[in-house]
Amino acid sequence: MIENFLDSAYVKSLPYLWEGIQLTLYITIVGLLLGFILGAITGLGRLSKVAIFRGISTVYVEVVRGTPILAQVLFIYYGLTAVNIGELTAAIIAIMMNAGAYIAEIVRGAVYSIDKGQHEAGRAIGLTERQTMRYIVWPQAFKRMIPPLGNQFIISLKDTSLFSVIAVGEVLYMAKQYYNTTFEIFETLIMVCIFYLLITIPTSIILRRVERKLDV
Amino acid sequence: MITVKDLHKSFGELEVLKGIDAQIKEQEVVCVIGPSGSGKSTFLRCLNLLEDVTSGEIEIDGQQLTDPRIDINEVRSQVGMVFQHFNLFPHKTVLENITLGPIKVKGVSEGEAKEIGQSLLKKVGLADKENAYPDSLSGGQKQRVAIARSLAMDPKVMLFDEPTSALDPELVGDVLEVMKDLAQEGMTMVVVTHEMGFAKEVGDRVFFMDEGVIMEEGDPVQIFDNPQNPRTQSFLSKILS
Repeated sequence: MIENFLDSAYVKSLPYLWEGIQLTLYITIVGLLLGFILGAITGLGRLSKVAIFRGISTVYVEVVRGTPILAQVLFIYYGLTAVNIGELTAAIIAIMMNAGAYIAEIVRGAVYSIDKGQHEAGRAIGLTERQTMRYIVWPQAFKRMIPPLGNQFIISLKDTSLFSVIAVGEVLYMAKQYYNTTFEIFETLIMVCIFYLLITIPTSIILRRVERKLDV
Repeated sequence: MITVKDLHKSFGELEVLKGIDAQIKEQEVVCVIGPSGSGKSTFLRCLNLLEDVTSGEIEIDGQQLTDPRIDINEVRSQVGMVFQHFNLFPHKTVLENITLGPIKVKGVSEGEAKEIGQSLLKKVGLADKENAYPDSLSGGQKQRVAIARSLAMDPKVMLFDEPTSALDPELVGDVLEVMKDLAQEGMTMVVVTHEMGFAKEVGDRVFFMDEGVIMEEGDPVQIFDNPQNPRTQSFLSKILS
């Protein structure tokens, strides 16, 4: 019984999957960090008084949110033949661009939700616009961003599975490679799902705790 | 101290201020009364450019606020503002609320700002609350912290926008007491208020505003006991009855 188990894909696929898991986490984390920077800039851009900045940000958010991520991935990898980027770079850019647009909306919503009086009070004591954002509005808005950002982390983590179509060796791609030779499709995919759930369920639980603590 | 000439302010099509002329002297306490929608809050907010002015001139302590070259932040640091809803910074302690302006705007050291803050908290009767967060304070306490926050910038003028309107009745007195002390120390104050008792007792002059202009002005006794303008009469009869 135990020998059977040790000999099955539940165990034997693990070295392959582990390679994929590392790459999945790497793409998710790097992509999201870059995406947060992009999202913060374009999210504030959507609230900007400068029409060009606002216009560019809005077009970006609408285009990304209005098209399927799979199409975006293929476009970045195969469509941009002029730049010829590697598949890993394409994957990171895809997460950055895609998550960036959703994070832009998170940032915009959070900043917008801060009472106008906070901004006025900052300006009234003589703080500049930039200081008011930095010391007054942003710290309060950031607290409200934490739950939706955690949610975005879960979404982007799962989105990395799409990169198997451009042969990025993330966890689902590695699983396919494995079961293509052993045909233990069920067992291998079970392990893949367990991996995702091991990340997403604790993230959800932590988020709910944080939410309660922040009282947002 | 403050000179306002033919001040107009429109929000889109809607003209809220239709030509305000006013003079406020140093150390004077002016109370602005009038029905809601009369433009009294907008007038006050123009005095520190929280609203940009459509046309007209505002001069405070020799500085033309409407001059495009003026440093707005510099002006605002000299004109304190107290809001109806306090607008304290909820993520900062009481003391941090007060010291933020001196540290970031005036470049005062943290230690010095802390001393300023503590002495101001003592002055408004909240010395024991310096490490509390605004959420744990009552409305009256919040407003006194907000007053201390403004005073920390050592302003030449203090503007009050209905400072007691959001307070429970039993908490109004403490705030008015602090304001009265300020007036007695010689602070120049412009107060939009519904507290007729305060206006009578502390105010040097009262402006009655309606429909975007100052309809009537005069010393409090004259305005309250013997109003000349029929609109003033009708407004006062409504609120005093």
